Amino acid sequence: MSKEKQKAKESVLASEKFFRGIAYVFMTILSLMAILPCLHVISKAVSTGENVISGNVLFWPRGFQLEAISYVLKETEFFNALKNSLIVTICGTAIAVFTTITTAYPLSKSSFKGHKVITMFYVISMVFYGGMVPAYMVVRTLGILDTYAACILPFAIVPFNMFVMKSYFEGLPESIEESARMDGAGDIKILTAIVVPMSKPVIATITLLYAITYWNNYFHVTMYTKSASMRTLQVYLYNVIYNSQTFAENTLNGLTININSEGILAAAVTMSLVPIVALYPFVSRYFIQGITIGSVKG
Amino acid sequence: MKSDGRKPHTSVYVPEKISTKKKIHDFFVYFRQHPTMYLMLVPGLFFLFVYKFMPLYGILTAFKKYNIFLGKNPLDAVAKSPWVGMANFNRLFNSPYFWKVLANTLIINGLKIAWLFPLPIICAILLNEIRRKTFKKFAQTAIYIPYFFSWVVIFGIFYSLFGSYGVVNSAVKALGGERISFFTDTHVFRSVLVFTEGWKEIGYNTVIYLAAITGIDLTLYEAARVDGANIWQQIWHVTLPGLLPTIILMLILKVGYILDTGFEQVLVFYNPAVYEVADIIQTYVYRLGMGQMDFSLSTALGLFNSVIAFILIVGANTISRKTLSRSIW
Repeated sequence: MSKEKQKAKESVLASEKFFRGIAYVFMTILSLMAILPCLHVISKAVSTGENVISGNVLFWPRGFQLEAISYVLKETEFFNALKNSLIVTICGTAIAVFTTITTAYPLSKSSFKGHKVITMFYVISMVFYGGMVPAYMVVRTLGILDTYAACILPFAIVPFNMFVMKSYFEGLPESIEESARMDGAGDIKILTAIVVPMSKPVIATITLLYAITYWNNYFHVTMYTKSASMRTLQVYLYNVIYNSQTFAENTLNGLTININSEGILAAAVTMSLVPIVALYPFVSRYFIQGITIGSVKG
Repeated sequence: MKSDGRKPHTSVYVPEKISTKKKIHDFFVYFRQHPTMYLMLVPGLFFLFVYKFMPLYGILTAFKKYNIFLGKNPLDAVAKSPWVGMANFNRLFNSPYFWKVLANTLIINGLKIAWLFPLPIICAILLNEIRRKTFKKFAQTAIYIPYFFSWVVIFGIFYSLFGSYGVVNSAVKALGGERISFFTDTHVFRSVLVFTEGWKEIGYNTVIYLAAITGIDLTLYEAARVDGANIWQQIWHVTLPGLLPTIILMLILKVGYILDTGFEQVLVFYNPAVYEVADIIQTYVYRLGMGQMDFSLSTALGLFNSVIAFILIVGANTISRKTLSRSIW
């Protein structure tokens, strides 16, 4: 009997060991699939032209040059696009986080008269979308086409983020706020001195969600801006990818071999990847935390 | 949507009859005590009104023969353009291209669900079995990072890999095959969309399922092991039932948002050579409106999309609330 039990235990352990083996192999493959394409593009950006054109570059640089990257930085509108992206992202995120907090706080109070009606407005805006052209008409009527304001407006308050913030506020202990109220603190004082400091994790998460939304936004920027000087990094990169053949013709016009269409494309992609990859280790925990806080769809 | 197991408020609510007069009185008392609470709502409501509610007025364009020159500004022109009833919708439903883009939308998003929905669940279960903390953290971080790349960056990366002179085609050529035009061949383009969607999203979804797995009571596993359950039986009888609510919720959401997803990806990836298989409702709305400047037809198609999407999303939320007592809002 005990022998049988021992045998069963062994088979359980064997199955777990086998499964763990599969887990390591499978997750290694998946991790490589995520990383290698990025490494490929970065390698291509710094490999010498002959190796890039002949397709020799895999996941590590072959030869080394920085001409392609310096071409992208100097000869294309890279820095202007970076400037636009930074302005839109920083201003947009600041506005969006502010409105999200100031909206979520009153709505999180069940004693707040009218919270049901106002909440309903936000729910409606989440499920019913006016459409692309009507939104464009509004932006045009306001006279803000081709401005930073038009790039910021679409995400100045994202109802979903507001609801995540609101449900976090609802979970905060009421007693601390109550005792502050006893001491004569007003609503604004309570929000800034008590609620906001207690909600740092959710605020960090929401801030990053907004920042990434603004940074990565391509569609609204192409739709609401026309002039080349307003291009953000995403729009700029899209144009580089589609026009890389034109750059390639420049190669024939006496530029060096290192500056070819493939290399320029790779260099531009690399320069757009770098800010995200560099920041990622510092901020990833807030995103993972964000999922456990209670968001399913970003 | 709460994935951390917090229960929704279930306090017993005893309805009492409050007269409208009393309600108004209470409101004014509260308002006088907390005027700043109302002031705080102003910025949010301002943006909500401007960007979400003002466009609702523009929907009238769908029932008009829109002429931008009739008004002082585009919205004024909506009021002054002549009514045409359902003419725009008739034009739409009679055009074979409309049915094509509708089919493309459903096929592309259907393929994505079929191929990609189970993967993060499998990943999360596998990742959960990994004991080495550093490896677990590394794998989680690695598969999660593509989620933060924009579609344009991802397009750049994959164009570099799969383009005519990319490394994949070099390999194909070296092995004696024909170059594959991944971005212009109608036979493979949808696969490119499904693959890159998976590349971007799998890590994110894995983290969601992983969070749900950590919520499962560990004593259940202990009990199962004492009873001699091997790893497959543990997964089948403990992990999967524990994950089921999250799985159902995610599936409901995926189906609910089937008309609203994938727009920016297709917009960035597609080109005229693959319109036939890749043009979806939203990209067609975009080209009709911004390319051909046919505001009326574009708005009509957008409205059609919004109405169906509305029904799907509200339906999905109702199912989710009834079966899982979880609500999207």
